[in-house]
Amino acid sequence: MVEPLRVVHYLNQFFGGIGAEEHANIPLQVEEGAVGPGRAVQQMLGDRGTVVATFVCGDNYFVEEGEQAAVAARQALEHYAPHLVLAGPAFDAGRYGVACAQMCAVAKEAGIPAVTGMYPENPGYTTFRRELVCVPTGTRATEMQAILTRMIELGAKLARGEGLGPAAKEGYLPTGLRRSVVRQQPGWERAIEMLEARVNGRPYPSEVLLQQYETVPPPPPVKDLGQVTLGLVTSGGLVPRGNPDGQVSGFAQEAFRYSIEGQQALSIEDWESVHGGFNPHILNTKKPSYVLPLPVLRELEAEGEIGAIYPHFFSTVGNGTAVSQAKQMGAQIAQEFKRAQIRAALLVAT
Amino acid sequence: MGTPTADSSKLYALTMTEGDPTWAGALAGQALGLPVYHIIEPEIKAVVDSAVYEAEVGVAEMVMDEAEAIVEAVREVRQRNTTL
Repeated sequence: MVEPLRVVHYLNQFFGGIGAEEHANIPLQVEEGAVGPGRAVQQMLGDRGTVVATFVCGDNYFVEEGEQAAVAARQALEHYAPHLVLAGPAFDAGRYGVACAQMCAVAKEAGIPAVTGMYPENPGYTTFRRELVCVPTGTRATEMQAILTRMIELGAKLARGEGLGPAAKEGYLPTGLRRSVVRQQPGWERAIEMLEARVNGRPYPSEVLLQQYETVPPPPPVKDLGQVTLGLVTSGGLVPRGNPDGQVSGFAQEAFRYSIEGQQALSIEDWESVHGGFNPHILNTKKPSYVLPLPVLRELEAEGEIGAIYPHFFSTVGNGTAVSQAKQMGAQIAQEFKRAQIRAALLVAT
Repeated sequence: MGTPTADSSKLYALTMTEGDPTWAGALAGQALGLPVYHIIEPEIKAVVDSAVYEAEVGVAEMVMDEAEAIVEAVREVRQRNTTL
């Protein structure tokens, strides 16, 4: 049994007492002992353990300079050699959540158990959930003490080398990983029990948890396309012939940006699709515009139906890419479109 | 207090009594036990000149969506914690 517990606590600039958004770019810094919510951790640990250090980092810094922040965190972890890392909780703060998840990943790499806490829709959890022990939280920081109590309980278990049971039983958010276990009751008995429960209107939790996809609310309709510059995005794998950026045929990590300025149509001499999820033969020998309908869009532009077409389009391969990665690409594309004051985008899927 | 929602009222009321519940600020873990009131509570209204109250607070109170919930939240924290 590891006692007393040496704990390192990760906080963002706000909870670390440095300041609000204007300090979101500060690099990772290390404070001896407990800071901010860490004082509650220390109080709860009593003589069972010590918060030996608090790592504080700006939300933007950890997200934008992830590699540098990870290097600094790794070095500091080596120095303090904790038995446990607690990160956050981050509640529904997105960048903080991502930073907490990354901090947990650094700890895990170093063989140190780590626990964080987030709102289930926090991108830190939705993106990194497979790797995380994450206590569910609401959106209010007033729950701080209750959440920290749960984080400490789980963390202490992990630090003692006890494995964790299923998420629902232990009270952390599902990681999506399934472990094989032997049940006393055979499958047919369990199935009949579930059936009985179902026909009698009792609850019957399934043994197989299906991944829930989020519902994305559609944006409001475009009032007058004639006044709008339209941005084009395709997941059809369209690239300049020869694939200069080395786009992959599946599990794409990036969207590339190509110019269509002044072009009325897409020729097979200049364009091809590298998509690996369908047969692009017709596309590559006859008409690349099946995945980016430029000719018809140019017609509509000439007729004034569309105000203008943005001179660059974005292209990726929509084939097996993780939802989280697709989100990241989408966010990057949206950023450029927003800067360019594009008010509508046409997404061509395959 | 003049906080605009029940949540924020509870947060500040707790900060003035039990200590900052978010543990972010200097009052974390500091149980001051101060008697906290919201400006729209009847106890406060009763001791403020009604013309002054109307001029200074009237409009703000009128546009508060959660007036009842605010009073409820602050009262609950006050009754639980006030030691003075």
